[in-house]
Amino acid sequence: MRVLVVEDERRLAANVARGLRENANCAVDLAHDGEDGLFMAQSNPYDLIILDLMIPAMPGAEVVRRLRAAGQATPVLVLTARDEKEWVVKLLNTGADDYLTKPFDLGEMIARAKALIRRGKGHATPVLRVADLELNTVDHTVRRAGRTVTLTAMEYRVLEYLLHRPRAVVSKVELLEHLYDYNWEKFSNVIEVYISGLRRKLENGTARPLIHTLRGQGYILRD
Amino acid sequence: MAAYSIKTRVIAAIVASQLLLAAALVVVGVSYTKRRLQSALDTTLHGRAMTAAALVRYEEDNTSKLIFDRSLLPPRLDRRYPDLYRVVVTGAGVLAQSPDWPPELRPGSKLHWDFAQAGVPYRAVALYDVPILDREGPPVQPEPTLSIIYAVPAGQMHSEIMGAAAYLALAGLATLSVTVLLALWGVRRGLWPLERLAASAKQVSTRNWELPEKTLNQPQELAPLTQAMKTMLQGLKQAFTQQREFLGNAAHELKTPVATLKSTLQSILQKPRAAEEYRAGMEQALEDLARLEKLLLWMLRLARAEQWASGALRRDLNPIDVADTCQEAIARLNGLAESRHVDVRFAAGGPVWLSADPEDLQLIWTNLLENAVRYTPEHGQVTVDLERVDGCARVTVADQGAGFR
Repeated sequence: MRVLVVEDERRLAANVARGLRENANCAVDLAHDGEDGLFMAQSNPYDLIILDLMIPAMPGAEVVRRLRAAGQATPVLVLTARDEKEWVVKLLNTGADDYLTKPFDLGEMIARAKALIRRGKGHATPVLRVADLELNTVDHTVRRAGRTVTLTAMEYRVLEYLLHRPRAVVSKVELLEHLYDYNWEKFSNVIEVYISGLRRKLENGTARPLIHTLRGQGYILRD
Repeated sequence: MAAYSIKTRVIAAIVASQLLLAAALVVVGVSYTKRRLQSALDTTLHGRAMTAAALVRYEEDNTSKLIFDRSLLPPRLDRRYPDLYRVVVTGAGVLAQSPDWPPELRPGSKLHWDFAQAGVPYRAVALYDVPILDREGPPVQPEPTLSIIYAVPAGQMHSEIMGAAAYLALAGLATLSVTVLLALWGVRRGLWPLERLAASAKQVSTRNWELPEKTLNQPQELAPLTQAMKTMLQGLKQAFTQQREFLGNAAHELKTPVATLKSTLQSILQKPRAAEEYRAGMEQALEDLARLEKLLLWMLRLARAEQWASGALRRDLNPIDVADTCQEAIARLNGLAESRHVDVRFAAGGPVWLSADPEDLQLIWTNLLENAVRYTPEHGQVTVDLERVDGCARVTVADQGAGFR
C-alpha cells in the first residue's frame, strides 16, 4: 500500500512515515506543504492520504476539497490540532474520512490508516480471504488451508495488494505504484521475483495455483 | 468595628433622634404644665388667703376686739387633707389658726413656698400688712394689719403634673413607634435600588460580564457606582478574554511539538531495536523537547509582554536602535541560513530609535526570520528592511517561500 503524508512539521512527518513503513508495510511519500501535497496526490495512485490541516501554501481543508472536486476517492485521514465539534463536522462534510487530534497515538494512527485503506478497497474486516488463502492485516499473518505461510516484507506487500483487489487484473506498474514510494521505477524488474517467491510459498507444490499471469497485462488472484 | 447593615444604622439613628425628641418634649411639656398649674394654684392660694383676711372683723359690741369667723371658711381644696392657715394681727399675736397647724412651720423667704406636712405636700403663701376690711369697728390708731399664712395640699397638682408627663410620654412613644414603622418602610424602599444593584452584580460571572439592563433606571447617587462597576467589569472582561485567548492559543501551539515528541518516542517503542537505534531515537526526542522548550520560553515572554502592554507590570525602557536588534537576529540565524544556502540581506536608512526591550524585539525578528529562512527554497533570498514611517519603525521580513494562506 502506498500512503502520502502531507505535514509541514518534518519531524512529525518522518515519524508518521516510519510508523507506517514499519507497522503497516506501506510505501510512504512525504509532502511538506499543501500545493506539493495536492500535486502529488493528483499524480500518484495513493491508497491513503494523511493530511495536516495547518500547512503552508494551501490549507489542508482546501486540499481535501480540490481532491474531491476532481473526483478522487482516496481515503483521507486528517491530523489537526483543533477538536471543536463544528470544525470536525465541517471537515468530514468537505470529504475527509477520519481525523485525529494532535497529539495523537502512533498506534491508533496506524490502526486508523489500515482501516481506511481496507475500507477504501471495500473490505469490512481486517482478514482478507480468497479460496483457502487468508491474510490478516492486523498481525500480518498469512495462512493457506490453515497452514501458516512465512513471507518476506515485500512478498507480504504484493500479496496484500492482490488480495485487496481479488479477481481483477493488476498490472506490474500498478503494483509498483502502490508498493514503492516515488522512485519506484528502479524496482521495476523485482516484481517477478516476489511473484515467483509467493507462488512457491503459497502453492507448495501440491495446492492449486492462485496467482495467474496474464501475459502482457499483469497478474490476477483467483481460485 | 462590627459591620451593621445600612438599614440597622439608619433606623438606629432615627430611633435615637426620636427618643431624644420625645424626652425633650416630655421635659418641656412637664415643666410648662407645672408652671401653669402652680400659677393657678398660687392664684387659688391668694384668693383663699384674702378670703381668710375678709373673715377677720370687729366684734359687734363696738369694742376694738377682732374676731375670726371660722364658719365662713371656704371648703377644703383637697377632700382628704385640710387647708392650713394662721392669721396674725400685728402687735396682738395670733388671731386664729387651723386646728392642725404645725407649730414648727415658719414662713419661707419667698411669697410662695412648698413644704411637707406629715408626708403630704403643701404649698403656702404668706401675706403681710393686709388691712382689715371690716370698716364698722371703732377707729384704732394705729390701725392694725394682718399677716396671713395659708397653705393648701399640693398633692392633686403633683398628680396632675405626673398625669401630664405620662400623657406626653405615651404620645411620644406612640409617635416613636409610628415613626419607626415609617422609617423601616422608607429605608427599605430607599435601599431598594442598592439591593437591585447588588442582585445585578451577583449575576455577573465569567460567562456574563454585563450588568443587567434594569439597573439603568436608578437614583443619581448610585450612578457613579454603577459607572465604576461597568468600567471595572469591562477591564476585567478584557483581561479575562485576553488570558483565555492566550491560553487557548498556547495550548494549540503546543499540540504539534507535543505530537512530534510523542510520535518520536512511540515510533522507537513500536518494536525491539538495536542499541544505536534507541540512542538515535533518544537524541531525536531530546531535540523535539528542545523545540518544545523554546516554544514555551517564547510563550512566557509573550505573556509577560502582554502584561506589560496592559500595564499590569511596569518596567523601565531605554531608547535603543532597532537596526541593532535586526542585525543581532540575523547573526543568530546565520548558521541556519548558511546550511540552507539562503542569502539574508539587511537594509536600513539609518538608526531608528525606539523605547523598547531589545530582547523582545530580537525574539520577534528571530521568529519571523527563522520562518522565512526555513520556507525559502535553497539558494533563495530573504530581505529585512527597516524604515521610519510616520514616527513608527517598520520592519519588513520578505522571503521567497510559498507563504501561508
